[in-house]
Amino acid sequence: MRLERVLAIAKKNLRSLKHDRRTVGFLVLMPLLMITIFGYTFGGNVKNVDVYIVNLDQTPANQSLATAIITNLQTRDTLHIVKVYTSSSMIAASTEKVKDADIWATIVFNETFTQDVISAASSGNGQPASVRMTMDGTNPNIVQAISNDLQTAIRSALGAGASAAPISVVPDLVYGKDARFIDFFAPGVMGLAAMMVTFMLSIISFVHERSAFTLDRLLSTPVTEGEIVAGYALAFGLVGLVQSSVIITAAVLLFDVQIAGNVLLVVLVIFLLGVGNQGLGFLLSSIAKNEFQAIQFLPLILFPSILLSGVFWPLESVPTLLRPVSYFIPLTYAVEGCRSVMIRGWGLGGIWFQLLVLAAFATAMLILSTYGLKRRR
Amino acid sequence: MSEEGRAIRHLEGEKDAIHVNKLRKEFDEIVAVDDLDLRIPRGILYGMIGPNGSGKTTAIKMLVGLLKATAGKAYVLGEKVPIQENVARIGYMPQEMAIYTDLTIHENLELFAELFSIDKDVFAKREEELLTVIDLMDRRDSLVSQLSGGMKHRASLACALIHDPEVVFLDEPTVGVDPELRVGFWKYFADLKARGKTVILTTHYMDEAVKCDTVGMMRLGKLIGEGTPRSLMDRTSTSDLESAFLALARRAVA
Repeated sequence: MRLERVLAIAKKNLRSLKHDRRTVGFLVLMPLLMITIFGYTFGGNVKNVDVYIVNLDQTPANQSLATAIITNLQTRDTLHIVKVYTSSSMIAASTEKVKDADIWATIVFNETFTQDVISAASSGNGQPASVRMTMDGTNPNIVQAISNDLQTAIRSALGAGASAAPISVVPDLVYGKDARFIDFFAPGVMGLAAMMVTFMLSIISFVHERSAFTLDRLLSTPVTEGEIVAGYALAFGLVGLVQSSVIITAAVLLFDVQIAGNVLLVVLVIFLLGVGNQGLGFLLSSIAKNEFQAIQFLPLILFPSILLSGVFWPLESVPTLLRPVSYFIPLTYAVEGCRSVMIRGWGLGGIWFQLLVLAAFATAMLILSTYGLKRRR
Repeated sequence: MSEEGRAIRHLEGEKDAIHVNKLRKEFDEIVAVDDLDLRIPRGILYGMIGPNGSGKTTAIKMLVGLLKATAGKAYVLGEKVPIQENVARIGYMPQEMAIYTDLTIHENLELFAELFSIDKDVFAKREEELLTVIDLMDRRDSLVSQLSGGMKHRASLACALIHDPEVVFLDEPTVGVDPELRVGFWKYFADLKARGKTVILTTHYMDEAVKCDTVGMMRLGKLIGEGTPRSLMDRTSTSDLESAFLALARRAVA
């Protein structure tokens, strides 16, 4: 493989873009439009959020309010109570689980919880009893869902007319202390835009390369199949990067989005995602006979990614049956990686797995594309 | 084959620009090239003529390495096809325009120059020379999509020649080219030959094939006649190549 030929192919693709101002405009405006639209509209039902409960309440179980609240929580599917501990020694371990992002929250009822509620209710102006909660604030949607569900459970456990519940929920966020929806989905939109654009550019350019017979011409020069694939990956990976920079800048300037970690790691994640998806476009271009057919692949790739990769709705809101599909979508890992860096402030050690998956995806796509091109002869 | 036989074959290959032995290409049920034997010496203008579907383009695509032969052997400049080493010594202009319409002429030429690892100074000289010949110097920085059909054709030819190849395959280089420009093209092909290049072109315009040194007539994937235009007409007692082709085609059927 010769670098100068890879660069020649990459330059060719970027130059084509340079002459096509409308496409360049689209490439910049589309992500801006996306982040703006999604910045103001957001929805989704959260389900099966993993939590631990540490119930230290000393009141016998049949009279314990804590037990009643836990039982009530179990009747709904918003929270998935993985474990219920009864020893205070488990508080620290449970908090660690939240920090490692293995679970979303730990809910702690203290030793005198039921008594506190009773005395607060009878005295009328006493200190309310409190439920302590340690939460991962990366995803405001999930924070909201946990809080709402806990409030609902408390209200039903106390019975009707207890709207002014003498119980306060004291949340402690380990990540994303001031995170808003926009902080949560800016990384998602970034990944989605990079994915869409690299896939689209690659599939359409390459279908055109075949239908206009320029590919024949390229292949009659010393350039190898691998060099063509690498040149494409370089050009469109860079386009993906430029796009995500536009989104990061817009998100920071317009919506004051926080970036807790190293922005270069975000760039790396997006680049790998871009390279992988352009490879996918390259690969699928061999099935499409013309640009029109190529466009038809777009919804096929986009819809599962939008719905199942956690861009807008957390994976916890994906129906259990479809959840395995989520783990086959590269965007899932890119979004998780970007979020961990931008909100949790994690470094390489925290997102190595996501990087590994994306690198494997990109490598596999590049190898398959090269092989597909060789088989063509 | 004995060692000696291999050596002879290799020597013969070196002497000829093209040496094709029982080359065959099948697409499913269709035989596009049917056990073709061909030998093209260096430094001549060779015209492959025949109607659409006679296998000319398929044969050329196999020679430049774009299609795998079903059977048979072919050598280009002594190297067995698909060639690896001699790629930079051949030039190929596909039948279709096959240049990047969203790039300028200069950018197209520069791309191919870079793929052939041509020095920047050498490229600048070659570009100027070629653009002068094809009379597109003033359109150097125009987007190809903004050029007329004839201009695109000329630009496509320039892309095939930017690396100064020894053997040039031109597939239907004059299709859709106006008569005046066609004359210019043929003059340039003769000029290439005069500089020692081997030019192999396909055409279905029989009238212009008389300008070739040797003409190979193809029909249904087979070579039904080969020789100088004069000898082909003499052999068939005809006065033009079209009649000669028809006569040979009748003989082939009989």
